[in-house]
Amino acid sequence: MASVRRQLRASVIGLAFVSPWLIGFLVFTLVPVALSLYYSFCSYSLLQPPLFKGLENYRTLATDPVFWQALRNTIVYGAVALPLGMLAALCVAMLLNSKISGVSIYRTIVFLPSLVPAVASAMLWLWLFNSKLGLINTTLVALGVSEPPQWLASPRWAMPALILMSLWGIGNTVVIYLAGLQDVPRELYEAAEIDGASSLRQVWHVTLPCISPVIFFNLIMGIIGTLQVFATPFILTGGGPARATYFYTMYLYDNAFSYLKMGYASAMAWVQLLIVLALTALAAWSSKRWVHYQGK
Amino acid sequence: MRSFSRKFSNVIKTAIVVVLGGTALGLLAFGPRATDEFPPGRVVVDYWEKWTGVEESAMRAIVDEFNDTIGREKGIFVRYLSTSSIEQKTLIATAAGVPPDIAGLYNQNLAQFASMDALEPLDAMAAARGITPDYYKKVFWDECCFEGRLYGLVSTCYSIALYYNREIFQQRAQSLRARGLDPNRAPRTIAELDAYAQALDVVDPASGRIISAGYLPLEPGWYLNYTCLWFGGRWWDDLNKRFTFTDPGVIRAYEWVTSYSKRLGKQAVSEFRAGFGTFDSPQNAFLAGTVAMVQQGAFLANFIHNQKPSLDGKWAAAPFPSVDPTLPHLKDVTYCNCDVLVIPRGAKHKAEAFEFIAFVNRQDIMEKLADSHCKISPLAKVSEGFLTNHRNPYIRVFDDLAASPNAHPTEPVPIQAEVDAEMNNFVQRLAMLEVSPQQGLEEMQRRLQAKYDAFMADQRERRKRQDG
Repeated sequence: MASVRRQLRASVIGLAFVSPWLIGFLVFTLVPVALSLYYSFCSYSLLQPPLFKGLENYRTLATDPVFWQALRNTIVYGAVALPLGMLAALCVAMLLNSKISGVSIYRTIVFLPSLVPAVASAMLWLWLFNSKLGLINTTLVALGVSEPPQWLASPRWAMPALILMSLWGIGNTVVIYLAGLQDVPRELYEAAEIDGASSLRQVWHVTLPCISPVIFFNLIMGIIGTLQVFATPFILTGGGPARATYFYTMYLYDNAFSYLKMGYASAMAWVQLLIVLALTALAAWSSKRWVHYQGK
Repeated sequence: MRSFSRKFSNVIKTAIVVVLGGTALGLLAFGPRATDEFPPGRVVVDYWEKWTGVEESAMRAIVDEFNDTIGREKGIFVRYLSTSSIEQKTLIATAAGVPPDIAGLYNQNLAQFASMDALEPLDAMAAARGITPDYYKKVFWDECCFEGRLYGLVSTCYSIALYYNREIFQQRAQSLRARGLDPNRAPRTIAELDAYAQALDVVDPASGRIISAGYLPLEPGWYLNYTCLWFGGRWWDDLNKRFTFTDPGVIRAYEWVTSYSKRLGKQAVSEFRAGFGTFDSPQNAFLAGTVAMVQQGAFLANFIHNQKPSLDGKWAAAPFPSVDPTLPHLKDVTYCNCDVLVIPRGAKHKAEAFEFIAFVNRQDIMEKLADSHCKISPLAKVSEGFLTNHRNPYIRVFDDLAASPNAHPTEPVPIQAEVDAEMNNFVQRLAMLEVSPQQGLEEMQRRLQAKYDAFMADQRERRKRQDG
């Protein structure tokens, strides 16, 4: 009896300590998420009470050409920027993992851009990409390119410009890879060297399998991040030219706060969640084949 | 020895924690506080406004004058707050039931907010103060009304006209005269505008690169949504509540816009525009002399004076030409826009808020504010002193245009934000010759009409449930 009372007391004390977080989670996360699910079945502007419409929002989404364009842009961006970013980050991390003098300075330089606020870096890149006065085109012209791309003013080049810009912020990913690389047992490299493995084979057979959990983590975070990209294209292009860089979250934002169609925006948010869940589940399912945890 | 140094280290750590923690608690309990800056015993009216910089200073001066005069008399204190994304913040605050007493919205927001019952109607309060439709220029009264009810009053407003660089006209006088054009005046028809533009264009024959342009519809391109007005077209039929994007006048207007990209080359135009600076910089296309004519409001004179004073006296303004100004409905056409002061639904101090709005709409106050913003007055009656001493030497052109029967307000469409988004996309596609005007307008007609019909169906359903 005493031990039951003691256990109960311990539980109550534990709950009391957790309660601030729990209350915050319920009030600021769970309840709004549940409400957004309800609103996704309604016509709701915030200014008037919600009007239940059943599946109408979802049906309208299916036939909304702007929705499909925004989704296509987001998927294209994710399909290119994510693997490119991960590859670039891995290569840079491998370089920074070498024992050369001044490596801590190089690590700092690589990480610094990810500290710059999104708005500030967008303003910087706006000028870099200026087709007439920007540094990029000035350099291209100096190198003999007679008609450099119009970048942000061209529907064909605006997306590549954004993908290029995304590579500037790989610092966070590099640091995570670096931590993983430094965890690879030295003996495995020595054993591979003894067996006559070249550097490339060592990377393929030792490094990549050992850091596969880190790659998997970055892949999941990258999927979530690229499908939610908003600030950079919002500032750089506003979704233009001609919606060439109009991303999913921008359309969601416009529906919610410009068009006052919070119900429609909620439906979009839930569709986005399902897409992210599906891709994450796919990545998790595939991880059985290529992610190797140490000790297993 | 080791245990003594460990004990000493623990004492130091504890002392640091106590000192820092104590300081923090002390500051929390007894530290400096923001003081309320309003006199006691007055009703505080919260006024959210989008302006910063010079425009903010001008409005703050009006607020201070009110607080020192009428405010003191009637026990009202207006508290001005400069707010970015004013329409979104007003929306959220109104939805949450804690709106400001006055919000300085864009006129494009008025129909949207009014259609969702988010604004207080001002008819009764305005009538009680003698603010009636004939107190205003008709176009601005129309801007403030939705479905026949008054939902706001103007704070600042403007009409648009054609600015032309007289110095460039004189420098290229020979080229103009060779085409039978007069370098001493502005073009009077669209055909003349095109002829002047072609005569003034400077294009590198080898590369096709544009060095300077006579006119570009896309520069600054702020009013392209209403280009159809100068072609006798309208894209909204307010009587029948239908979009009319496929109106022949509308199609002709956008064919005209496209003609510039076709003539000069879409790539060349895009590259040329990429070199323009922002509006409020000396690299503004008109200020820098890279474009000889632009369509703009009276306030451009202020920017010319501040950013490029060497251009003062070398420019002029005239009514923007229409296809045929001899026709009554195409003479002195202009598009008018304004900032509106509204009282959101649920505001705590409506009567006091309207006291301030009415104060701003007093002729002397309105003219003071309009002059400091380098804009026109929305009032029917304008003092000679305002026109004579205005910062814009061509203010009479803008004022006369706003008083013209062919001055058009923003179309009162509740889904204005979606219309703007679709039209911006359409214009961008037009500029890149990705779509023909007819095709693009037909697509917009279908999409926007469906959205409008869906919106109105929801509103009818809501009213039925409210009444039932």
